Amino acid sequence: MTEAQDITWKGLLNEFQDGLEKALEELQKRDVENIPGAKEALIQRLNNIKLHFPKNNGDLFLKSINDKIQNAFFPNTKNFSEAFEKILKSRTHEQDFIINELLNGFVTSKAKAIASETQGPIIDRMVEAFSKRNDFHIVDHQFFAMFGDPNKPRHYVKKQLEELVNMFGLVSKELVIEKDIRRSEEKVYVFYTFPSEIIEILEEKYLIIDEELGYAYVSNNFDRNIFICMFLANIAINRDDIDKIGGSYTINGISAIFALILLLSFMPKLSVDETNPVLNDPNFDEKNMSIIPKSWMMKHVLEPLFEPLIKIIAYRIGGGLWLSKIIDSEINKKIHNQIRFLLKDVNKWILGNLCRVEIPIFIEISNIFTEILVGYKEE
Amino acid sequence: MMSYKKRSTRTVKPGRKREKWTDILPRYLTFISHMRPILRETRRIIIDLDADLLLDTEILDKIRQEEEKRNIRKVRALSEFSAMYRSNVYDIIKDFIVKYREKIPIIDIKDYILDFLHESVNALNILRHITNPDELNLENTYLYQLVKFIESRLFPRGANLKIIYNKLLQQSVDIYECQRHLLQSHTYYREKLESLEYFEVPGISPKVYQIINNITSLYNLDPNFGEYPEKNNYEIPMILKSDIFLPYVDSIANPEEEAIERIAERLGLRLIDGIFLAPQKDFVDLLLENNFLRENKQSDGTIRYYPQFSNETLVLYYLAFASQRRGFLSKELINWISMNFSFLIYMGILKWKLSDENIFYAIFKDLQTNEKVLPYLMKLICFPNYLGLDKMKIRDSVQYRKEIFNFIGSQIDNLKAFIHEISLYCEKLENNNKKN
Repeated sequence: MTEAQDITWKGLLNEFQDGLEKALEELQKRDVENIPGAKEALIQRLNNIKLHFPKNNGDLFLKSINDKIQNAFFPNTKNFSEAFEKILKSRTHEQDFIINELLNGFVTSKAKAIASETQGPIIDRMVEAFSKRNDFHIVDHQFFAMFGDPNKPRHYVKKQLEELVNMFGLVSKELVIEKDIRRSEEKVYVFYTFPSEIIEILEEKYLIIDEELGYAYVSNNFDRNIFICMFLANIAINRDDIDKIGGSYTINGISAIFALILLLSFMPKLSVDETNPVLNDPNFDEKNMSIIPKSWMMKHVLEPLFEPLIKIIAYRIGGGLWLSKIIDSEINKKIHNQIRFLLKDVNKWILGNLCRVEIPIFIEISNIFTEILVGYKEE
Repeated sequence: MMSYKKRSTRTVKPGRKREKWTDILPRYLTFISHMRPILRETRRIIIDLDADLLLDTEILDKIRQEEEKRNIRKVRALSEFSAMYRSNVYDIIKDFIVKYREKIPIIDIKDYILDFLHESVNALNILRHITNPDELNLENTYLYQLVKFIESRLFPRGANLKIIYNKLLQQSVDIYECQRHLLQSHTYYREKLESLEYFEVPGISPKVYQIINNITSLYNLDPNFGEYPEKNNYEIPMILKSDIFLPYVDSIANPEEEAIERIAERLGLRLIDGIFLAPQKDFVDLLLENNFLRENKQSDGTIRYYPQFSNETLVLYYLAFASQRRGFLSKELINWISMNFSFLIYMGILKWKLSDENIFYAIFKDLQTNEKVLPYLMKLICFPNYLGLDKMKIRDSVQYRKEIFNFIGSQIDNLKAFIHEISLYCEKLENNNKKN
């Protein structure tokens, strides 16, 4: 690490410290908790963070962001298939959920997000088209037929198929028929499939190849999230080319989402009185849910915590280039604000309490913190 | 004096004519009654075939060609459909043989195919006798019982909104995601938030859904409190209208902001002083009853209602509101709701009759099959004895059907679970019918 970078990093850590101070101050002023002890637990947790995070050049951040978040969602590589493989490997039901939230969550129309109004179902139909054949190819004609008359495909279907093919880097092959049966005219069919290095990765779990017969079937695991992993891999390897990934909107959005994941992971679990109605609410599942203090979600508390954290994430995953895009513009503020309402289905509101669903990424990150705390006490 | 002049009874535009039960049921049955014989014939042929002959797939091709020649149907659409259906059936059988002939003895493969065909014929049999032309014995028909079963969970009826809301809330533990799904029509881009027809209720677009989430979070996190207009000495929670729209970039949520009063009404909320959103009186009572508001006495003696909303608090109000005003739903929402009902019934019956590994599932789930069966089922479901929706609003365009069928499916786990529950209910119905 060069000296200049070191200074930036130190600056970011200091900003975070200041943010913590401010958040703690705001916390003292107001009380929105209805669980006794919730506010105190949060204050204690923030104090602990203040004490442990700056240690060893922000080692806790390095571990949580570089090892956990980056590996699972945003691998640091220039190689497409390597990035794809890592994202694919870390897939769980819950991770799929977060990824989908990631992509659907942006309320800004300007970010180049996938699964816009019509792209979502088109991806679903691509999955279906691949599942129906036994050569792991799709044909444009077959595909158009799913959206109307295949001989007169709708303009938007054609355009979006092209866009998706480019985005996923599918490879194509043309087949020219001199005289088709319908009109006795020349007709060109385009076949699409995945690049061979991706096929190799898919073979393990998503693709069954019968070498003897030359057939390739997709397995039941093959779904739309395969495509979405490709989308993420594409952003991950092109992180230096801002225009390619949708500009500063995407950078602010992604940094904010990861900052939220980080922050959520560090929130303390609350123990509640056994007469608390939440425990009797049928939607509350004690095994994999925990109530967390909601005060941190208040605008006055979240803002000072969040701003520096977004910068820290941006710097860790996109270096100085990404950091330079996290400026306090009105629009960025709005994008960051959106995050306050995001991850809505991963966390639940139950009778006014914010309940965290204990999914693997939260557990992994909070374990890092717990280890440090335990280690500290032993010392 | 009687006039002998023949008068047209048609006063509506052609193509929008009021279709009777006896017009629609035969259309629903047309394609189903063509599928069943094909599967039965195929089964009979395979029974008689020596298992070893199955190893040579060319024999199957030849049989199919022979079968095709016997086709004497005069209606072109029907004979085309039959040819397509038959070739799909044979292709699936061939694929199955090729895939497993190295691993499973051919005699077992034959048995599997026969079983799968048998199951499929049974499923079509149920679909064929789902109801009858005179709606005789209405309450014992599958169609009636299944619609009522699903209706009571997703779109219940009741004398007032409170009754409907409580029915929905009772079911929401298990099927909240299905309930929410029923409102999220995927053709939302055609919907108007504020319709000229004052009462029309549209579905929930993704943006409106986000707004509902914002409202829930704001109530739980940082509510203001103001005088309860209907009750002295009480305060109700309020949130600033402008806070809801704070996160939106540019003019992206302008239509929602302009229509906020109408959206609020569908969520049980009202605008106070033009800037605050607060629950309506009836909703306050509902919220109190379900523990979504908590009383707290202030030092000055006033009583404050603290909000403690859950995820489903507002969405279920919207659903109850739509159910109560089912006569005023938008065209898109009617198509969406009836399509989901028909899809659930269709899939429920398949799940009941077909084993999970049945190779013909693919044909049943194919868009081409769906669009032959589901549109008429949708219309049947709209009749007064069933859902009681305006079936004149069901679109007949082929393009539109493809469009909406592209969005159905059981990608949602919760929907899959519900289909399973429906299949269990079907089994129970059959047992009850046998007993009677």
